[in-house]
Amino acid sequence: MKIIVDGKEIDAVLGETLLGAARRAGIHIPTLCYHESLEGQGRCRLCMVEVNEGGRKEVVASCTYPVKEGIEVTTSTPVIDKIRRNIIMLLYKRATGSPVMRQLFQEYGCPQNSLQENPEERCILCNICVRACEELGSSAISLIMRGTQKRVATPYDEAAAVCIGCGTCARVCPAGAIEMTEKEGIRVIWNKAFAMQACSRCGSYYASREEIAHLTARKPEYVIQSDLCEDCRKRMMAEKIAVFVSE
Amino acid sequence: MEGDPHTVIEGMIIGSMAIGAHKGFIYVRDEYGLAVQNLGRAIQDARANGYLGEDIMGKGWAFDIEIVRGGGAFVCGEETALMNSIEGNAGEPRDKYVYPTEKGLWGKPTIINNVETWANIPVIILAGAEKFASIGSKNSKGTKVFSLVGKVVNTGLVEVPMGTTLREIIFDIGGGILKGKAFKAVQTGGPSGGCIPAELLDLEIDFDSLTEAGSMMGSGGLIVMDEHTCMVEVARYYLHFLAGESCGKCVPCREGIDRMLEILTRICEGHGKMEDLDLLEDLSETLKAASSCALGKTATNPVLSTLRYFRPEYISHIHEKRCAAGVCRSLTTFDIIPEICTGCGLCEKNCPVQAIRGEKKEPHTISQELCIRCGDCFNRCNFGAIKVV
Repeated sequence: MKIIVDGKEIDAVLGETLLGAARRAGIHIPTLCYHESLEGQGRCRLCMVEVNEGGRKEVVASCTYPVKEGIEVTTSTPVIDKIRRNIIMLLYKRATGSPVMRQLFQEYGCPQNSLQENPEERCILCNICVRACEELGSSAISLIMRGTQKRVATPYDEAAAVCIGCGTCARVCPAGAIEMTEKEGIRVIWNKAFAMQACSRCGSYYASREEIAHLTARKPEYVIQSDLCEDCRKRMMAEKIAVFVSE
Repeated sequence: MEGDPHTVIEGMIIGSMAIGAHKGFIYVRDEYGLAVQNLGRAIQDARANGYLGEDIMGKGWAFDIEIVRGGGAFVCGEETALMNSIEGNAGEPRDKYVYPTEKGLWGKPTIINNVETWANIPVIILAGAEKFASIGSKNSKGTKVFSLVGKVVNTGLVEVPMGTTLREIIFDIGGGILKGKAFKAVQTGGPSGGCIPAELLDLEIDFDSLTEAGSMMGSGGLIVMDEHTCMVEVARYYLHFLAGESCGKCVPCREGIDRMLEILTRICEGHGKMEDLDLLEDLSETLKAASSCALGKTATNPVLSTLRYFRPEYISHIHEKRCAAGVCRSLTTFDIIPEICTGCGLCEKNCPVQAIRGEKKEPHTISQELCIRCGDCFNRCNFGAIKVV
């Protein structure tokens, strides 16, 4: 089907979200709780856009709004810009310690106000870490409590038996809020310590043993040479190709 | 659910036949023990008498009802949060760009209504739609049950035709304000409703008129407030409730309500600034437009309605550091007017910190060092001898 975004006609597929269609067409809509590998969540509300459906205008979250034939979308209006500024301001005030929020606060020209800041906090509660953990098959962390008490945690804040220490949560976090340390072959994350696997070639630590076991069990076809780090795997592959070419 | 659960069940059976559903759920907060108990009993009786089950009254229609007990979250009154809760997930709402009638419980088409709506169905079927529609206002038909509480003589559940005026409900049915005090406002629709002032007492209330007045029908709650109510504190109180009950999923609601509460608390403590009022209105706009569900969208009602009808109170809190109603503790001092005090001793006896002293039948005095400004004496005095300084 065809939809119009910012005056431009673009292709969309029934069942996809407005954000998905717009991104594919190279139209930028800002997001914080969206990750291209996961379903839209509608949490941060930064992706709000104006949809005109047969003369009826509505402000919607584009990451959860399913495309409809004939809609006309405007991604920036004075109303929407103001919503975005306020959302950035609110998240900056909540998670002032987060570099991404400090940067966005400047970028969007949010006015200073008297609301209190939280320099210690980094988490913006986008839930991407929780969803990623779920998708990878661990579900070691979740959102607990509600309202302003809401936070990401392992059950009872204890070391979670199901956590494999893969560190995906920390890598997908847009706010740098998840602490992960590595020292002498031990990775510590979510109050749990993991022995790391050392690369059989270069000796560098590259993954937790639980992560390798989890991956081997779940996707054996992806695990080629599981005793090598990623760099050495590439190097080995290159060497093989070089031998092949020279022969 | 407590008094006549059968009507709700009957309504649901009719509804099931209308849409072709074989399974119904009634979601009740577990705190409402009597409702859970009576509904459970009524469902059992209905099954025993062949009104629920595989072959209802020999008509070849199958329908059964299950009670789901909620874990006490206000937000689960929001239909999509309620459905998530039934599915065993956290009570977070979903965006409603696809309606439950298309994709609801477990992704299946679902019809969801308040129990009051279901209870209306048998009446409409029996009396006929025309008869039902002959009662009520232009766009809101039939009757509405209100829960009349607060500073009013007669409290309880009141069923009136849609379009009845607030004055009729509060003064004719409710018997007026307690202790003959002056009416100040009525808060309608539950915690995220708005406060309606005396000048709108003749408002004929229905869904549209309440929304226009900056409030809502909501749960049908009517909380009557008298002259000793501080409207800024009322707004703060409701936002405090909503901050705790927001599910915390979307940013405008979770962070916005919390920040509006921060501002209102500051004003009640005498640290407010005039620009705070602009910030409240600015944040309200974002909450209304960008929140995921009705909790966030309507959370601004207590603030916007009091700003609309009682703005001078906000201003006197900010400029004069004064709470004329004598409610905000940081801004209030109580004193006894010796000429009026009869020395009855009622305030002295009830003061929780023994701050009031005096001989019998002689004017009493308040020790400002001991006083915690709870306002008990002020509310209790039968002679109006206590003033807010």
